[in-house]
Amino acid sequence: MPPAPAAPELLAEPGAAPAAAPGPARRRRPSALWRLALPFGSLLLFLALWQAVAAAGTWSETLVPPPAKVWDAFLAVSTTRDGVRGYNGTYLAEHLGISLRRIAFGAGVGIVLGVLLGLVMGTVRWVRSLFEPWISFLRTLPPLAYFSLLIVWLGIDEEPKITLLAVAAFPPVAVATTAAVAAAPRHLVEAARALGASRWEVVKDVVLPSALPETFTGVRLAVGVAYSSLVAAELVNGLPGIGGMVKDAANYNNTPIVLVGIAAIGVSGLLIDALLVRLERAVVPWRGRT
Amino acid sequence: MASSDLSGPATERPGGVRLTGVSHRYGRGGDAVTAVGPLDLTVPPGEFLVLVGASGCGKSTLLRLIAGFERPTHGTVQVSGAAPRPGQGAGVVFQQPRLFPWRTVEGNIDVALRYAGVPRQEWPERRAALLERVGLQGVGRRRIWEVSGGQQQRVAIARALAAENPLFLLDEPFAALDALTRESLQEDVRRVTAQTGRTAVFVTHSADEAVFLGSRVVVLSKRPGRVVLDLPIPLPRTGATPEELRASADFAALRARVTQEVKAAAA
Repeated sequence: MPPAPAAPELLAEPGAAPAAAPGPARRRRPSALWRLALPFGSLLLFLALWQAVAAAGTWSETLVPPPAKVWDAFLAVSTTRDGVRGYNGTYLAEHLGISLRRIAFGAGVGIVLGVLLGLVMGTVRWVRSLFEPWISFLRTLPPLAYFSLLIVWLGIDEEPKITLLAVAAFPPVAVATTAAVAAAPRHLVEAARALGASRWEVVKDVVLPSALPETFTGVRLAVGVAYSSLVAAELVNGLPGIGGMVKDAANYNNTPIVLVGIAAIGVSGLLIDALLVRLERAVVPWRGRT
Repeated sequence: MASSDLSGPATERPGGVRLTGVSHRYGRGGDAVTAVGPLDLTVPPGEFLVLVGASGCGKSTLLRLIAGFERPTHGTVQVSGAAPRPGQGAGVVFQQPRLFPWRTVEGNIDVALRYAGVPRQEWPERRAALLERVGLQGVGRRRIWEVSGGQQQRVAIARALAAENPLFLLDEPFAALDALTRESLQEDVRRVTAQTGRTAVFVTHSADEAVFLGSRVVVLSKRPGRVVLDLPIPLPRTGATPEELRASADFAALRARVTQEVKAAAA
């Protein structure tokens, strides 16, 4: 972040900064180039440091592989090389795709259940009292803690993976939806009643839309939690799958592949969150304006 | 619209309001505060009653009782001859517009038409008429936060008029607006009620607003609010322009009278 104070930047109008005073004007409104330069600069700096540390040879290549090796690993898992197709017969993109499908399915189930239960918990007090302690308990558990149990119960195929992701995604959505529904703005509920809305119409036309922004935050959290549980979900029999690939490569001390997998998970996670933010802006344009 | 063939006392006809021995308390036991009353008040159909008083005198409570949001701890409230229920028989405008931010300007009107049971095919026409009546054209598709505070309150007024209820309740609707917008909205409300002949109960702390709008002004004492002055306002409802009205000697005298009473009641 440039050290520009926020207030003048907000106050400055597009045409207001006179060309005669380039110094202060530029400081107040950093150009697009400058705003792009900083993150890119930090990335380049990181790569340079990485290269330097790897070249110094303080640690072995297994611990700190040089950037070129990781790039090579990336190319290797994305192509067929010497008759070997990607990693373990599957391209990187396919590993990622399979994992994303698991997330979409698992987190999707968790989110739908979370929204539904949250709606009921937010409207009916005793249901909330009944379920809230359990959801809070579930939320504090790291997914790895119950993964073994899921394996015992559900085997080693898709079922425990999907279930783990669903169970991980469920609590944040349920909690956010419950809070949002319970905190429906009273002044708008009253306005709707004054217009002749029935009980159900108040729920449908006021409570639900007013809960949407916070529910959306819960969904973003849930996708994040599901994402961070991905490697855990694919610990056992996770190939093909990006988490399984990371786990498998780690077993063989194949650090470059592990790093490629981590980068793929991180970048795809960022992209998905950016997508969710755009979706949120489209679905909840009134966010922050009430 | 206010005319009716029903027999019986005027206050039992559509739009009529009758308060008998009404008082209202908030809280219980030692913490209980009596907000208003006991008081009796009748509003015949077609009247524009303005309730004036200093802040905290219970005038908003009185309006909430008439709207049916609260039931009085003592006494009875009757609107059009029955106990009031929210959304039945009265349109309400609050101090804040209270528009639904997930709907556009039009959407806010449409939802009111839907609640009022207006068939969907009649919405475009009714909506256009309502927006025109409050002087809002060309902003129908805007988002709520894209129109000014004064326009938002106009939408709220149009929304409250959608069901064509015989009674119109307004709780300091212009208090948060600048003076110019306030005056123009006052003129609009005066014109709209004069045209439709609806009963209106309007709450304000401004003596000027009360005399300009009301066909009758009731001044309330400080808490618990009771009637200290019940004054008919014999100014012309139609014909005279707002400027002529405000410039007239009658207006000045009435306003002075109400101002004095409000001050005395608050002391």
